Amino acid sequence: MSALLASNLYKSYASGKLRIDVLRGLSIAVEAGRLTLIEGPSGCGKSTLLSILSGLQRPDAGSVTALGQDLWRGDNDAVDRFRLQHTGFVFQGFNLFSALSALEQVMLPLGYMGMTRAEAIDRSQAALVEVGLGDRIDSRPAELSGGEKQRVAIARALAKRPQLLFADEPTSALDAASGQVVIDILRRVAHEHDTTVLCVSHDPRLVSHADRVLGMEDGVILNDRKMQSVSGPEKDGNVS
Amino acid sequence: MIIPLARKILIHDWRRFLPAMFAVALSGVLLLMQTALVFGILGATAVYMRESNAQVWVGYPGTQTIELGRPIPVTAQTALLADPGVARVEPFAWFNGDWQGPPRAGGVSVFVSGVSTEPNALMFSRVLTPAQRALLDQPFTILVDRAELAKLGLPIGGRALLNGRLVKLVGVASGISAFGGVNVVASLATARALDGSSGGAEVEYYVAELKHGANAAAVAARVNREARGYSAWTAASFARNAVLYWMFQTAAGVSAIFLAAVVFVVGAVITSQTLMGAITGSINEYATLHALGVGLRPLRRVVLEQSAWIGACGLVIGVVISLGLLGLAQAQGVPADINLAVWLMCAALVMGIALVSGTAAVRVLRKADPASLLR
Repeated sequence: MSALLASNLYKSYASGKLRIDVLRGLSIAVEAGRLTLIEGPSGCGKSTLLSILSGLQRPDAGSVTALGQDLWRGDNDAVDRFRLQHTGFVFQGFNLFSALSALEQVMLPLGYMGMTRAEAIDRSQAALVEVGLGDRIDSRPAELSGGEKQRVAIARALAKRPQLLFADEPTSALDAASGQVVIDILRRVAHEHDTTVLCVSHDPRLVSHADRVLGMEDGVILNDRKMQSVSGPEKDGNVS
Repeated sequence: MIIPLARKILIHDWRRFLPAMFAVALSGVLLLMQTALVFGILGATAVYMRESNAQVWVGYPGTQTIELGRPIPVTAQTALLADPGVARVEPFAWFNGDWQGPPRAGGVSVFVSGVSTEPNALMFSRVLTPAQRALLDQPFTILVDRAELAKLGLPIGGRALLNGRLVKLVGVASGISAFGGVNVVASLATARALDGSSGGAEVEYYVAELKHGANAAAVAARVNREARGYSAWTAASFARNAVLYWMFQTAAGVSAIFLAAVVFVVGAVITSQTLMGAITGSINEYATLHALGVGLRPLRRVVLEQSAWIGACGLVIGVVISLGLLGLAQAQGVPADINLAVWLMCAALVMGIALVSGTAAVRVLRKADPASLLR
């Protein structure tokens, strides 16, 4: 069963007196345990698709079934709760609080999930070790490189142990080596934790490491490639 | 909350929040100082109650302040004496005098107080010595506050006309200056002789000292139950009435409240702008938390907690500055009067400024739209 299932999504924006149709009846299915990549030229609607699939932005029409739930049926509070319980995010900007150490950045959302301090510390330390920052847990953002900041942001997402992990251009602000580290982490998360990783990027390195690449243009998916990489058995994706 | 985000940000970015803390602190200082000065100046209207040992006052019904007193029946004295809580009673005469001093001093408004000359008399017991009272035993002799000598243009031993009678200034005391005029203290006998309007036996007030352990409010209430043509108050409530009467009779009260409102608004605007700037500076971080499922309500709490801390820090800074300024005022002889209620009121207003600012700044969080993080 697909972890994410979207059907007939529509979204348009007003730009002055014009209405721009960003998504036009798009449907997609995304499987668990895979790193799925959406690529396409800027303005093709890939970020809008990611925001609708991840519960950040309501579609004008259409539905999203995430982990078997109709994501957009409830009110905003219900969607907030869904995101809190099940999703992690990695953004292009690292968006770390300058006042907090790496460990505190990762612990912060866990507190809002109702976890005890001891439990949050355990999970956060484990997440930081997993992204290779076990020795930097006390560092503030000012003391970390760009790649390290992005790894803290990934650890913040991972510590929640989300079934769904969304990443938006996670490598575009990073140098080659840091970008490769981040790509490896995202792949590992998908394959070892059976997490659904959905990533928007046009970084060619990411394309070559994804299990599946969806090419998008003008609000529709044009092609769907299953990559023959080191990632394991091939699965079918439904595209319309 | 396992990570105290509000406090962590405040401590890390304290420089960013410092202007807000000072805005709150200085608002508090302004509120406190103007209240202290208004009360200090108007406190002179309560000098009669404050500097005397009487706990209960009896005067004409409805009298708000000493200047508005009218002669009352002598039965008031009997009624006071009949009360089980009263130890002794003393008459106190008060009237407006017509003063004609040396020509160069010009016109002066004069209030005449007729007090007992007994060594342990109640009126002005805190400021007049028995020796000073003894001087008043001579007919047509008066005392004034040391600070009024220049105003009267009269040296000790000098003479002037009071209500058309020649009086002699026999000494000075400290702490009997009045509000809006000069207090002239004379013996009851002199006062009666000077006061053309009174029939002789009637005075404007009776003051009472209570027996040890007697409750002033209870005595006043008992006396009032049978009172005809007079009314009893505790010294404290009569003093308070006098200050409040002048505060609202003159523009002092209204202007104090107006200035307080201006200070409140200015403090709140500066503080909310600082908070808004701080939130805007971290808006992507807040949006990320929101993306991770943290609702807007907990994020609002972070901002409100920050504003409460700003209020608390501003309060501490404000108290330190205020204590310094009050000390300076005291050293310079500037009348400033402050009590616990005023401190608490100003503290509440300061916290109010901080929390109103926080509530205003919370609106900025609406910009924490996680979808905006996706480009």
